[in-house]
Amino acid sequence: MNALQQEIAQLIIDTLNLEDVTVEDIPPTLPLFGEGLGLDSVDALELALALQKRYDIRIASDSKDARQHFTTVANLAAFVQAQRNA
Amino acid sequence: MNEHVMHERHWSTHKERGSLFLMRLTAFCVRIFGRRLLAPVLYLIVLYFFVSARSARRNIRQYQTYLADWSGRDALRPTLGRVFGQFIAFADNLLDRLDVWRGRLRFEQVQLIDPSGVRPRLLRSQQGGRGEILVVTHLGNPDVCRAMAELGEQVPLNVLVHNRHVAQFNRLLGEAGDRSMRLIQVSELDTAMMMDLSQRLERGEWLAIAGDRVPLHDGRRVTVDFLGHPAAFPQGPWLLAGLLRCPVNLLCCLKVEGRYRIYLDHFLDAAHWERGQRDATIHAWVQRYADHLARQCLIAPQQWFNFYAYWQPAPLEEVRDAN
Repeated sequence: MNALQQEIAQLIIDTLNLEDVTVEDIPPTLPLFGEGLGLDSVDALELALALQKRYDIRIASDSKDARQHFTTVANLAAFVQAQRNA
Repeated sequence: MNEHVMHERHWSTHKERGSLFLMRLTAFCVRIFGRRLLAPVLYLIVLYFFVSARSARRNIRQYQTYLADWSGRDALRPTLGRVFGQFIAFADNLLDRLDVWRGRLRFEQVQLIDPSGVRPRLLRSQQGGRGEILVVTHLGNPDVCRAMAELGEQVPLNVLVHNRHVAQFNRLLGEAGDRSMRLIQVSELDTAMMMDLSQRLERGEWLAIAGDRVPLHDGRRVTVDFLGHPAAFPQGPWLLAGLLRCPVNLLCCLKVEGRYRIYLDHFLDAAHWERGQRDATIHAWVQRYADHLARQCLIAPQQWFNFYAYWQPAPLEEVRDAN
């Protein structure tokens, strides 16, 4: 797990107030939604808001990839990295 | 009895029948003829609406029955006259809304009932405070948001609406010379919209959103007890508040003894839920909101302007989607 992935896993825990979860419980390839971490669509909005604020990026809602970015911590980290480099 | 419950049209398919069309027509006519000449014409239109719209009559009768049962006040029980009275109140309401839009109804004429000091906070957001949410209702005169914008002086007020006529309404607003109020179409909550609204709050802008109408395509609704019977309310305003973690206030404007009164009530300090308790928390907020609304119905029983079937239990499928 790289630093950014770790940071994002921590952000997920803090934003959603997941009390019994640690960064180690969210490996980069664990599905965040449904089975896996078990997040839902409202969690996704909350998370998107936190990510946009933290990294000063914009997540276009109409982009077909938006869903894809949110599937795992690894995908989120790659997305945030790409946005920062852009 | 069942057929009319099953096949009521959803309010948004009425395309603001009672509203936008009459609004534009009356806006035009008022300019030409003035209110005094127009009033009888509008009463005739409403009379036609009363005679032709059987379902609207039935829905108002249902509302009056529930209100009378719930409050135990027999004087509120529906009669033909009382049902018609509610339609007439709607005609008056339309005329008043035009006055509001044309800037004829001044803030000084409106009595403000603000026991918890919502207005001072509104004014404070001019000096760098964060914005808040106002939940408005279709009881009374929702257009009084305009007067509210005046209340806040320079505080921008964003009114979130579901219908697609936003451009037209904004044009009407522009014609009325309104700059501090803006309509924003929100068909569903998405990440870009949330970010935009969040930034507006940070800039000290306020958001107004209706708490008493369920959008057509959004399954996020919650069924609570309203006037003694289950009714569906939108989750949207409360999700928004919780996601943006901001305070929520209730706004309602009623005409009492010929004068408008704006009721401002502080509702939530900072909307927040424990993740596992989200649905239960929202349900509790909405129930409290519905109870508040019910009490306000008693202040102006005839100003309930939801003419569609309000007490439609949510189909099971939607309940499941919302969870």
